Amino acid sequence: MSEPRELLRVTDIEVRYGAIRALKGVSFTVGEGEVVALLGANGAGKTTTQKTISGMLRPAVGSITFEGRRIDGIPAHELIGLGICHVPEGRHVFPRMTVHENLEMGAFRFKRVDSADLERVLELFPRLRERIKQQAGTLSGGEQQMLAIGRALMGKPRLLLLDEPSMGLAPLIVAQIFEIVREINTTGVTVLVVEQNAAQALTLADRGYVLETGEIVLEGTGRELLADDRIRAAYLGEEIAAS
Amino acid sequence: MHALIQGIILGILTAGVYALMASGQTLIFGIMKVVNLAQGAMVILGAYLAFQLFTSFGIDPFLAIPITTVALFVVGVLVQLLFLRPLRSDDRSELSLLVTFAVALLLEGIMSVIWSTSDRSINTHYANSSWTVFGYQITLVRLWAFLLSLFALGLLYLLLNRTRFGRAIRASVQNPESATLLGVQSERVSAIGFGLGAATAAAAGSVYGLLYPFNSGSHYDLISRLLSIVILGGLGSVGGAVIGALVISVSSAIVASAISPIWSEMTFFIVLLLVLLVRPRGLFGTAARGAI
Repeated sequence: MSEPRELLRVTDIEVRYGAIRALKGVSFTVGEGEVVALLGANGAGKTTTQKTISGMLRPAVGSITFEGRRIDGIPAHELIGLGICHVPEGRHVFPRMTVHENLEMGAFRFKRVDSADLERVLELFPRLRERIKQQAGTLSGGEQQMLAIGRALMGKPRLLLLDEPSMGLAPLIVAQIFEIVREINTTGVTVLVVEQNAAQALTLADRGYVLETGEIVLEGTGRELLADDRIRAAYLGEEIAAS
Repeated sequence: MHALIQGIILGILTAGVYALMASGQTLIFGIMKVVNLAQGAMVILGAYLAFQLFTSFGIDPFLAIPITTVALFVVGVLVQLLFLRPLRSDDRSELSLLVTFAVALLLEGIMSVIWSTSDRSINTHYANSSWTVFGYQITLVRLWAFLLSLFALGLLYLLLNRTRFGRAIRASVQNPESATLLGVQSERVSAIGFGLGAATAAAAGSVYGLLYPFNSGSHYDLISRLLSIVILGGLGSVGGAVIGALVISVSSAIVASAISPIWSEMTFFIVLLLVLLVRPRGLFGTAARGAI
C-alpha cells in the first residue's frame, strides 16, 4: 500500500498550562483518509493535543500544518472553514435546542443548510431522525454522542477530531458508534480519534500513537499496537506477568 | 374584590414593561455571564432620549422607539467592546459587576449634566386618557406599553429562534465551546448580544418615561427590581424573565390594593426570597448555563 498523502503534521508542539508542561514536544502525522488513534491514560495529553489542533489552545513551541499550511495561531472559529471539525469530549450538544437545530448549527459555517448533508447524517443515525424535534438535552448519552458526531458532519469536515467518543457509553452503543466512524471514514473523512478504550480504537485505526505524560512513547499500526505487550498491559487490562 | 381585580390588571400591564427590560438583562447574562448593572441606567437613558425627541421635535415616544433602540444598540456594542472585552475571561463575571456599575455611574453623570437631576416626565396628549371596561379602568398608555412590550418580546423571540444569528446566540449561551468550534465568533456574538440587551432597554425606556416621572438617579430603583426579576426567573432565561416580571408585578399590585401601597415595594423582594428558598436557581434557571 502506498503512503497516503499527508494531511496533518504536528511538529514538536509544547503546550503549557501556567508552569505545567502538558505537552513536551509532541510530533506525529495524519495522512489523508486515515484513521489515527491517540492513546494514553488520563492526563497523558491526548485531549490537550486535540484542543491545540482545533485552535482552542496555542502551542508555546512547535508548529501544526494542515495540507502544508501553518494553522497554529488561527483562531478556533476559523479552523472549521478549512474543514477541521472537533467533537470535544463529553458530548457537547446544545441541550435546549432541538436535534434539528443542533444539526443546523453544525452547518453554521455555510450560509444555508445543505439538505443532502442533512439527509446523509440522518441515514447514518436513524435514531436522530426519530428524535428530530426533541430537545437535545432529553436524549440518552449514546444519542447525544451520535448528535455531536452528526453535527460535526454537517460542517463537511475533511479532518474529524473525535475526543473519547466511547466515554460513559454501554459497550453495545460504543460498538455502534465505532462502526459509524468507520463508515464516515470510508466516505473520505480523515479521523483523529482520542481514546482510553484502546482495544476499540485500535481495531478501527490504521495507525496509533501512545502518549504518556505529554510525550509520544510508542507508535505503530493498529495491529502492531494491539499486539504490543506494553499496550496490552497498560491499556487492555491484561496481566503480562501472569501469562 | 373590585380593587383586587383592578390591581391584577394593573400588575399584568406593568409586567410587560418590566419583562422587556429584564429580557435584555437576562440575555446579556446568558451570553456573557455578565450581570449588567447598567441596564437600569440604559433604560433611563432611553427615557431621556424619548423625552428629548418628544419635547424638541414632537416625536411620539412610541414612534421614537426605532431611533432610540438603534442609538442604545450602538451604546451597548461600545460598552462591550471598550469595557468588557478587555476583561480576562476567567474573572469576567466578577469584574463585570464593577465595570457595569461604573458604566451606570458614568451614564448617570452624563444624564445629570445634559438633563439636570430634576424629575422629567413625557406628557403626551393621551397621557391621562383611559378606558373603562366592565367598570375596570384601563389606562391607555399602560395598555399601549403592554402591547408594545409584547411586540418587542415577540421580535426578540423570532430573532433568537428563527434566524441563523439567533441560533448562534443561543448556541453560545448553551455551550460556548461547541459554538466556537462550529465557527461562531464569540466576540461578535457578545458585542451584538450586549447591543440587543441595550436596545430592549431603549424600547422599555420610551415606555417607562410615559408611565413614570424619572430623573438621572432613577436607575438605582430600577436595577434592584430588574435583578429581582431576572434572578426570580432564572438568570439567562428570557422566558423566565417574562414570568418573573408577571409574578413580581402582579403580586406587588395585589399587595398594594389589598393591604397597602407601602408594602408593595417590599413585595418584590419578599417574593424573590420565597422563591429562592424553594428553588435556588430561580424558576427557569439551569445549574450552570442560561436557558434560552
